[in-house]
Amino acid sequence: MNKRKLLFLPFLIFVMLNGQDGNKEKFHFQFEMDSLEMNVGESKQIKIKLLDKNGELAQNPFFISGARKSLSVSPRISDSTGVAIVTVKAHKPGRLRLGTRSITVKRDERIRDFIIVNVPYPPLDKIVFNKTPNKLYAGTVTEFLVEVFDVSGLTREDIDVELISSKQSVAEFDAFGNLETKKPGRITITAKAQNVKETFKVSVVKNPTRSVVMNPAETEIRTGDVLHLNGQALDKRKSIIKDAPLTYTYSGQANYGEFGLPASGLVTNDGRFVAETSGLYTLTASSGGYSTQTTINVLPRDVKKKVELVGHGLISDVLTSDLWIWPGIGKHKGKDFAVTGTWGSNGEAYFWDVSNPDSMIIIDTVTVDARTVNDVKISEDGRIGVITREGASNRKNGFVVLDVSDPYNVTISAEFNDDMTGGVHNVFIYDNHVYAVNNGRKYDIINVDDPKNPFRVGVFELDTPGHSIHDVWIEDGIAYSSNWSDGVVAVDIGGTKFDESDRSKSQYNPLLIKAGEGSPSSPKKLAEMGDPTGRNHAAFPFLSQSTNQFYIISGDEIFPWGVLATQGKPSNPRGGFHFLNFSDPDNPREDAIYQVPEAGSHNLWVHGDTLIAGFYQGGLRIVDISGELLGDIYNQGREIGVYQSSHKEGKIPNAPMVWGAQPYKDYIFIADMNSGLYCIQLVDENKSDTP
Amino acid sequence: MSKNMKRTIQLIFVVTIMINNLFAKDYYIYCTAESEDEVALIRFDGKVAHVEKRIPVGVWPVEIEGPHGISVSPDGDYWYLSMAHGMPYGHLYKYETGTDKMVDRVELGLFPATMGISNATGLLYIVNFNLHGGHSEVSDVSIVDPDEMIEIERVETGIMPHGSRLLNNGLKHYSVAMMSGELYEIDAMTMELKRTLSTSPMKKMNKHSGHNMKGMNHSKMKMNSMSHNMPAEKPTWVYPHPNDNFLYVVNNGTDNVVEIDVNKWEITRTFKTDKGPYNCEVSQDGKYLVVTYKSAAKTGVWDLATGKELAKFKNTRKVTHGVVISPDSRYAFVSVEGIGKEPGAVEIFDLKKLKAVTIAEIGKQAGGIAFWKMDN
Repeated sequence: MNKRKLLFLPFLIFVMLNGQDGNKEKFHFQFEMDSLEMNVGESKQIKIKLLDKNGELAQNPFFISGARKSLSVSPRISDSTGVAIVTVKAHKPGRLRLGTRSITVKRDERIRDFIIVNVPYPPLDKIVFNKTPNKLYAGTVTEFLVEVFDVSGLTREDIDVELISSKQSVAEFDAFGNLETKKPGRITITAKAQNVKETFKVSVVKNPTRSVVMNPAETEIRTGDVLHLNGQALDKRKSIIKDAPLTYTYSGQANYGEFGLPASGLVTNDGRFVAETSGLYTLTASSGGYSTQTTINVLPRDVKKKVELVGHGLISDVLTSDLWIWPGIGKHKGKDFAVTGTWGSNGEAYFWDVSNPDSMIIIDTVTVDARTVNDVKISEDGRIGVITREGASNRKNGFVVLDVSDPYNVTISAEFNDDMTGGVHNVFIYDNHVYAVNNGRKYDIINVDDPKNPFRVGVFELDTPGHSIHDVWIEDGIAYSSNWSDGVVAVDIGGTKFDESDRSKSQYNPLLIKAGEGSPSSPKKLAEMGDPTGRNHAAFPFLSQSTNQFYIISGDEIFPWGVLATQGKPSNPRGGFHFLNFSDPDNPREDAIYQVPEAGSHNLWVHGDTLIAGFYQGGLRIVDISGELLGDIYNQGREIGVYQSSHKEGKIPNAPMVWGAQPYKDYIFIADMNSGLYCIQLVDENKSDTP
Repeated sequence: MSKNMKRTIQLIFVVTIMINNLFAKDYYIYCTAESEDEVALIRFDGKVAHVEKRIPVGVWPVEIEGPHGISVSPDGDYWYLSMAHGMPYGHLYKYETGTDKMVDRVELGLFPATMGISNATGLLYIVNFNLHGGHSEVSDVSIVDPDEMIEIERVETGIMPHGSRLLNNGLKHYSVAMMSGELYEIDAMTMELKRTLSTSPMKKMNKHSGHNMKGMNHSKMKMNSMSHNMPAEKPTWVYPHPNDNFLYVVNNGTDNVVEIDVNKWEITRTFKTDKGPYNCEVSQDGKYLVVTYKSAAKTGVWDLATGKELAKFKNTRKVTHGVVISPDSRYAFVSVEGIGKEPGAVEIFDLKKLKAVTIAEIGKQAGGIAFWKMDN
């Protein structure tokens, strides 16, 4: 549009302001074409007019818009007569809209229209099978999966792929990619999508299987125990046929028990079985028309313990956030202390003497310029405390370094707020460095050798588009961060050097074998696993003491129904803890999940082979995670105990909202948002009276 | 005093009260509480401010999402709210006035903040403040179609853009950038950056009058790697005079407000203010400039004709934030954040009598403030 015409715009708008009643009947858009077809990167021109009911130009300008980042348009506005010759450029594939809108002040008088710009996806490039065996046995079923890639290298999940056997009398696919072999013969397997196909030849040979055996190590297990069935197909000479596919199934008769639950469990394709309810289970392995079965007895796991409340320090005027418990030093040696943060209030952190956990008392309060002290941490030597700040009045958030060597007289050593205006949400102290998750984007690494003069030495930030981080936890020099949709990320910040003479369990952590190049000033990413749900809120390393398998436990946080706490009502979150097996750190896989169906996961701790899980409105859950893990842990009777922390005088009365917990000595300390600090202990009794 | 005289006085008194009641107005204001994830609806009846509603906003009960900027559509049917914090991007929310029900939301950039709606285009222009981070990245202004709640364009401006207002004719959009120290003019129609101007009264030579910015590719300016010296001015706000001939830019860092002639594109006057001026607004009658002094915890009322400060009010708590003036130019409504658990406040000043009238306490960190309507 030329400048002269632009000069008339104010006048035109004035006219439009004063004479547009019934615009929708008076005006309409005319597109030169009904639709546009163009490829990514291509540009086309289209003429668009705004006409009155007589088909004359409306003498009014209008806007033209495309989907941002997908379809760019130029110009964005027509000339003053109501004509635009628009150059449209496609940046992304899809059925995109090229929209127009007349310019009026009154919303109801705006006229809109659009045409579809169809930008086809890039042509397909290739199809890749998950396996291409050259031999299959007759009478077996093999599952085939394929991935489709387009020329841009992206995986295309919108494409229907047809799997075809060249001779259906020999082998035939079902609708789910399972190939059933019927008789010997040579066939070609084809995967076909649009104009791309991939083939391979396979021989279906006579199945030598003459028997199937199973060799489970046990005939009696507990719920939650993983039994390896070790099925094998044997030929007539009783030799093992290593490549014969086996199919496993189970049936069962559960004990009625206390609640009359049905037989329930999981058996995997590779022959692992886990039961959720006790009873008799018959397990079957089959191949090539032969099968075998064995019956096992599943006993209740029977790990429940009695949970006893030892003490409670009520906080009812503000919401409580995180906690940390530590042993006193110097003149306080022999005593025990706790610190709790506060959420959405006055920037306070409370220091407690919990030496007598049945009578925990607040002994000092530190107040900083903040509304939320979300996280509190104490150094391993008990000298330095760090509390986070969000909602500072000067918007210079950050964290505050404390001298906690005398918890009765905590003093502020330093404030650190450089480049942390967005607020520090979580921190961790490790080896005289503070790892501060800030601005929701990264963690900064701050040297606190001299607590009064902290200085930044490093930063770790992902480079994925739109990345966002929530928390970080450090063990043996590896930082485990939780990153919402980017999932869990393990970073070497000075990982304990692998030493083959070190026979401690820590050496089973495969990440330590990979570590050695990172440092606080030069953190190096070691491994990661994304979260397709985008809910990853916590990450905690777990080296199973009983199996030496290495997991990163990934905790969800999700509030499907949004805000209720701010209305003084209990919130209703959901989510669980995912056991991501990183024993092979380059190929992590999810083995199991612990999810309380009607509650929401928050912070967690692992002590030995016990999970201590803050579950918001579901209270504190103490869970046996010993042994191999598989499937739905919640249903496997692995819960040792449950404590529903609540108080009638709580911030929200009688409403549990467990933020997190920490095992300490023989106790577990709990921070509950609504009612403060609790101390509980487990009593080893056969029968449980869950509070 | 005779009986008749007494009766006459009584009659005048009664009539005065009746007239006052007849013409009494209710003023409705929306104000955000950034550390409470709430928006308060306040009704001011000329004497008392009533908090009619406290509207919870956001979706994460244990993460403060930070409602920051707020604006009411020109027809008064909707209010729009920027939520600063996301994962990582913030959102613009749309609510219906009266029912205060959420209608829709759209994801924008990092820390979306102040916004304005054009009287000409009907589009909403909102700055992506990008408060977080190293303060070295150039950010932008998102342009949103508020009917359909789709973002249709982004126009790159400066580092930490803030303040977002349009001329009354709706044709030009203005914002400043705290860490660039500049004022930006965007053509609301073509959505192109047209002019920039240093907000420093000492740098009149730096103006880019008539400079067409269209061809400038900011993405190649390597802002991340450049050694950035923060400008002393740190401008935080811009507000146009009702006559559309002048703009008032608040220089938070150098304690002044500069008046800019829109046509000449130069600074014409400088008002030396109290400490930490933050937001400002000009009354619709063009007489008063009200400036909030964030650091001083005060509010100043300036006579634009004389350039003198007529009154300065000490606010009831620290961290004075935003201001909106009623369309009848009678009252200034000032949001004051407070510190820590202290409630935020909306303090109301009578511009005619130059005195404080009343106060309404709302959620923590009162910030963005917008005028909805006047009712008789």
